[in-house]
Amino acid sequence: MKGAIDIGWWKLLAGYLLLLIPIVFFRIYRTGLVRPTLTAVGRMTVQLLLVGLYLEYIFRWDNPWLNGLWVLVMTVVSSYTVIRRTGLRLRLFLWAVLGATMISIVLIDFYFLGFVIGLKNIWTARYFIPVTGMLLGNSLKNVIIALDAFYHRIDEEETSYRWQLANGAEHNEALLPFMQQALRKAFNPLIATTAVMGLISLPGMMTGQILGGSNPMTAVKYQILILLVIFSSTILNVWLTIRFSRRVAFDGMLNLRKDIFERAKS
Amino acid sequence: MSRIFGQMIRLENIGLQFGHKRIFDGLTALIPDGAKVAVKGESGSGKSSLLRILLGFEPAATGKVYYDDMLLTPATVGRIRSRTAYVPQDLGFTVFRSTRELFYTPFRFKNNRRLMPEPDKVDELFQQFGLPADILERGIKAISGGQKQRLLLAQAVLLGKPVLLLDEPSSALDEANRIKITEYILHLPVTVIAATHDDYWLRQARTIIDLDKLTQTAQL
Repeated sequence: MKGAIDIGWWKLLAGYLLLLIPIVFFRIYRTGLVRPTLTAVGRMTVQLLLVGLYLEYIFRWDNPWLNGLWVLVMTVVSSYTVIRRTGLRLRLFLWAVLGATMISIVLIDFYFLGFVIGLKNIWTARYFIPVTGMLLGNSLKNVIIALDAFYHRIDEEETSYRWQLANGAEHNEALLPFMQQALRKAFNPLIATTAVMGLISLPGMMTGQILGGSNPMTAVKYQILILLVIFSSTILNVWLTIRFSRRVAFDGMLNLRKDIFERAKS
Repeated sequence: MSRIFGQMIRLENIGLQFGHKRIFDGLTALIPDGAKVAVKGESGSGKSSLLRILLGFEPAATGKVYYDDMLLTPATVGRIRSRTAYVPQDLGFTVFRSTRELFYTPFRFKNNRRLMPEPDKVDELFQQFGLPADILERGIKAISGGQKQRLLLAQAVLLGKPVLLLDEPSSALDEANRIKITEYILHLPVTVIAATHDDYWLRQARTIIDLDKLTQTAQL
């Protein structure tokens, strides 16, 4: 197996010249996007270089505890990001998101790496870290959408929610239409991308594996599995997050607490 | 049917406050089984809030609510809500995808399964409430506010709960329907508490809670 051609540092710099194209256009149309673009690219560069550096060592040492710790750090950081983007209060939701993410990742990793791929040691850095990273990246995006849709819709449609309770609904029953909407909103894009996979886009992981020297069919099989894994870990994660967060989001009379939102709503 | 449950509602010194602003104070009332109560008051006087307090959706600044001798608390709120039907004033309901779904949702709750009405009964009541026979087949955005209100009132009636809480039940109704439906509801054998400023309701209801004066003008 032959790896991809390494990119020299000067060549990388040459790659950065491509940035001139968006910058010129942003300038011409006075979009005010030049500075944000430069900041974003700067951040990306620093973050990815750091990750590269970490990963080199983590791969070299390949210590199960260290790998676990690394994934734990990724989970905490991403849970934090999820909540920040939903406009829900961090303090109240962090444990729910963190707990749900950990449980769904561990369950799915065990099944996928341990049983489907058949690794003797699922903590092997080369599999455990990238697969978990993909799971986190993809499922958390959908958790954001679902969590946001769920609580904001209940807030907007408080009348419908209360109307159901006042007409005899149990809590689960009154939440059902909101759960349906949240799941549809979170999964429709994923279903749509899955349906056109390979037609209008070559997925990143598959491309990476091919560049890395894998046989295309192997890359395709991994890609198929990773999508299935994303589906199942996302639904587990969404469901558990909502389940866990319900305990803090509603009061004893099952009213949605208004202080769960970052900026107080009227 | 209310006799089976025996739902006397007792309000004890209820007060409402928004922030530092006092809305009303010292509301004490005994609402016997089957009473027809109209809650009146200027807008902002806390009519809708009073209904929400009765359902545990809003905390009262002071006072207690009892259904029979059951104090409304987190532990009892589920049991109490299983005996009420509620029609709110705001009729958005965009969370439901079809009129049929909106209508049948409460009948599918575990607490209400045995209350699923016979189709004949539904048709009959729709007719009495001036609803088109095919209303359930229409899109939820295609029906008017008045139709939605009548649909929800019909649903509340069909649920047959011992306590009916109605927030501005005639706000979107035309004259003919308003009188017909008010008459119908006031003759039900259940307790009805309506927040309203509709003259017809206020004339017909036997008991009035006037939040502006906070004095009960009729003997309960």
